[in-house]
Amino acid sequence: MITFNQVNKWYGEYRALSDINAEVKRGEVVVVCGPSGSGKSTLIRTVNRLEEIKSGQVTIDGHDIHAPMSSAQLNRMRSRIGFVFQSFNLFPHLSALENVMLSPIHVAGVRRAEARDKAMKLLDRVGLAAKAGSYPGQLSGGQQQRVAIARALAMEPPAMLFDEPTSALDPEMVGEVLAVMRSLAADGMTMMCVTHEMNFAREVADRVWFMDAGCILESSDPEAFFRHAQHPRAQRFLSDLRSH
Amino acid sequence: MGSVIDIVRDNWLLLLIGQYPNGPLGGIACTLILSVLGIVLAFPLSVLLALARISPWRWLSWPATALIYVARGVPLLMLILWVYFLVPLLIGHNVSGFVTMLVTLVLYEGAYLAEVVRAGIEALPKGQMEASRALGHSYLGAMRRVILPQALFNMLPSMLSQFVSTIKETTLGYVINVPELTFAANQINNRLLTQPFQVFFILAVIYFVVCWTLTWAATQLERRIEAKRAGTAAGRAAGRAPVATPTLAAEP
Repeated sequence: MITFNQVNKWYGEYRALSDINAEVKRGEVVVVCGPSGSGKSTLIRTVNRLEEIKSGQVTIDGHDIHAPMSSAQLNRMRSRIGFVFQSFNLFPHLSALENVMLSPIHVAGVRRAEARDKAMKLLDRVGLAAKAGSYPGQLSGGQQQRVAIARALAMEPPAMLFDEPTSALDPEMVGEVLAVMRSLAADGMTMMCVTHEMNFAREVADRVWFMDAGCILESSDPEAFFRHAQHPRAQRFLSDLRSH
Repeated sequence: MGSVIDIVRDNWLLLLIGQYPNGPLGGIACTLILSVLGIVLAFPLSVLLALARISPWRWLSWPATALIYVARGVPLLMLILWVYFLVPLLIGHNVSGFVTMLVTLVLYEGAYLAEVVRAGIEALPKGQMEASRALGHSYLGAMRRVILPQALFNMLPSMLSQFVSTIKETTLGYVINVPELTFAANQINNRLLTQPFQVFFILAVIYFVVCWTLTWAATQLERRIEAKRAGTAAGRAAGRAPVATPTLAAEP
């Protein structure tokens, strides 16, 4: 469903992504992990072209999102991929409900009443129906991130991308966000998650990609990865994590 | 002091509305109308200029930047004289001092406000635009529905203080015979001949009262916006500090 084909990206002299070849299959949950600066976030941001690439293709359902295209086409492709940010990025001038309704109305052209019904259902699904009228500033970090997930789901994307969705949260709020992600995975959503939550990776992921220095060094099922990672860099990463 | 009161008693109508209805509307009324129209018309211009200036297209950003630099880099009086002599040449007939002054103020304030708008837009976290684009909004759609509503709200106090500057700048209309407040005061002074200190003292007091009131309103507005933001920050700490909210809400 999402494929990377010989993807390269440079920041000036620095090679952020080098020769990435990988695939996320439909219904699969892929967790991308690795040390900071390894290119995880850059990689996930190339999928909806928040980052440009130097060469290669990133295709979604066979369509190369980095091909030359009109901005209208790009907007349409982007609206089909949900993206959840580390810093939530809710719109602070809109209530939780309005945050979720905004894009269906103005991007997808859904009627207001219909958008409202759907938004309420989505807020209910992430456990925040009671907070529909609250503004982001009145919500906890965990609640904000759940609204952000509902906002992304409102466009009914066939795939969801998560860029360190729990890294900005206080520890006691991580669980509620992961629970929402788990239920999405259980519903068969195609997901690509950059995360440091190794328990989530172990329990939910179908595959784990380990990245370092802009390369995917290892791609294996989580069982094998956590029991015995193949690459020495991955072994070191895991033992560093365990030592905490 | 007695003479000050006498001058006010004899000339209050002239100071308030100029020679209206026997002549053009003048005095404070003219000053305020000029300022309000100036800022109201400058506002949409400033948003357009700011959007052009930060746009990724050079053919749009360069002319906007140039216009802003010129308008900000030239004394207002020069701009007034340019418009005074150029506009009749361009449109083929004379225009009133009022219109000349209005056109100048719109250009001048538009340029200054454009920089305020730009700062307001650029002060927002980058994630706001990214999140909108990731949801499929176009650049302009995101500007209109996500970026500008936040930026303009944050800018309200700056815009109000720009309005105060505008009021003070209308005094320069005096040089092209706009019958605003300074012009009216000068008429009084010419008639009385012997009491310039008293006349211009009254003038200063009027300007001060008008501008101070508005500056005070701007400060109040700023405080309310800050309180609102602080309330947001307190709210973010969730159950931890619910006490903060009533305290802030109790503030006038």
